[in-house]
Amino acid sequence: MQIPLVNLALALVSVLFLVNGTVKFFKREERQTLFKLFSSLAIWGSILTFSLFPHVSRSISHYLGFGDNLNTLIFFGFVVVFSALFKLVGSVERLERNVSEIVRREALEKLERMQEREGLPRREDRSPPG
Amino acid sequence: MGRAKSTGTAGALTRTAHLSDVGVSGYTSENPSKTGGHRSVRSTPAAILSREGIAHEAGGRVIPLAKRKIVVLIPAYNEESVIGDVLRQIRLAGYPDIVVVDDGSADETYQKAQQVEGVIALRHFLNRGKGAAMKTGIEAAKLLGADVVVTMDGDGQHDPGDIGRLVSLVDEGYDVVLGTRVMDRATMPSWKIVANKSGNFFTWLLYGLWVTDSQSGFRAFSRRALESIETRTDRYEYDSEVIREISRHRLRFTEVPVAVHYTPYSQGKAARQSLKNGLKTLFRMFLNT
Repeated sequence: MQIPLVNLALALVSVLFLVNGTVKFFKREERQTLFKLFSSLAIWGSILTFSLFPHVSRSISHYLGFGDNLNTLIFFGFVVVFSALFKLVGSVERLERNVSEIVRREALEKLERMQEREGLPRREDRSPPG
Repeated sequence: MGRAKSTGTAGALTRTAHLSDVGVSGYTSENPSKTGGHRSVRSTPAAILSREGIAHEAGGRVIPLAKRKIVVLIPAYNEESVIGDVLRQIRLAGYPDIVVVDDGSADETYQKAQQVEGVIALRHFLNRGKGAAMKTGIEAAKLLGADVVVTMDGDGQHDPGDIGRLVSLVDEGYDVVLGTRVMDRATMPSWKIVANKSGNFFTWLLYGLWVTDSQSGFRAFSRRALESIETRTDRYEYDSEVIREISRHRLRFTEVPVAVHYTPYSQGKAARQSLKNGLKTLFRMFLNT
């Protein structure tokens, strides 16, 4: 059996991640869970299998009834994953902005208290400039 | 590029170049194609002449120069070794109204800033980034009734002696004055020149406005600019976002060469702004376009 160079490289990367994940779990490193270990084994195990035995993916595709359209399905999967990723990044950005606003209000409180002591009105009591 | 003349004084580089030396003349953010291929000053003046000289207009008010309030704003993060000297130098240069925003430093930056007489030191209890600190400082400056706000870096690379030149241009009617570091290998490391020019390119690509130094932290803003500019980003992309706002609100702006003192301290800080951080900044710029 002749395996293309790309597949060999993929297999090597998969083995590295499999070993890394397993070692981390058994060393009981922080934030390592059984779920994380199984996810890692499933994902990198699948990549290892498909890279060493490419005909397996074709057999599964035919068995599931996709035939030669598996690539389309994979492409669709990528689109879904990227859409989810962008939504997630957007949510994180929004959360970050909210955190910054809370931090800002807390920082400005000091100045407002200082101004209050000097008899100046608080921010919300002031009329807009101009 | 500019024929900026430099005269070394006591080891420091003093730029005496004029706007024309860096190929920049007073201009607005108007589309050059609409003004016959060159940028021109907008016809509506933002400053008017009064008996006291040029008066500054902010939100419809006319304030004589002598009475306008200039606030110097410094965002600082882990600058305990230099912040005291930086603040004292600014006071010595004749600018007593200083706001320092300590962005959640792990060291004594906040305490050191508080020790300098007359300085208003504010503190973020979490590190939120340069953009967030700037925004807090600008809000503080508004509360203090600032007519002009000058922003500077906290690591001592900027010369307080240049503040007057930036402020005088705001007095002439510009809404934003951008301090421009002269980018030649004698004064700036090559990798930093490449990084800054890339910043200029992507700022132009995303926001449609070409400036000579989009990442400079030495800037002056009129009250009108402070009221108009709305930034959303928290980190280093803030500097480019301000350029977007200049373009969006068609604010009058100009660029002026400023002296930069690169000390081993400021160089060390710059080196920590890795390629990874640069790419992150670029990604966030794309995200917020």
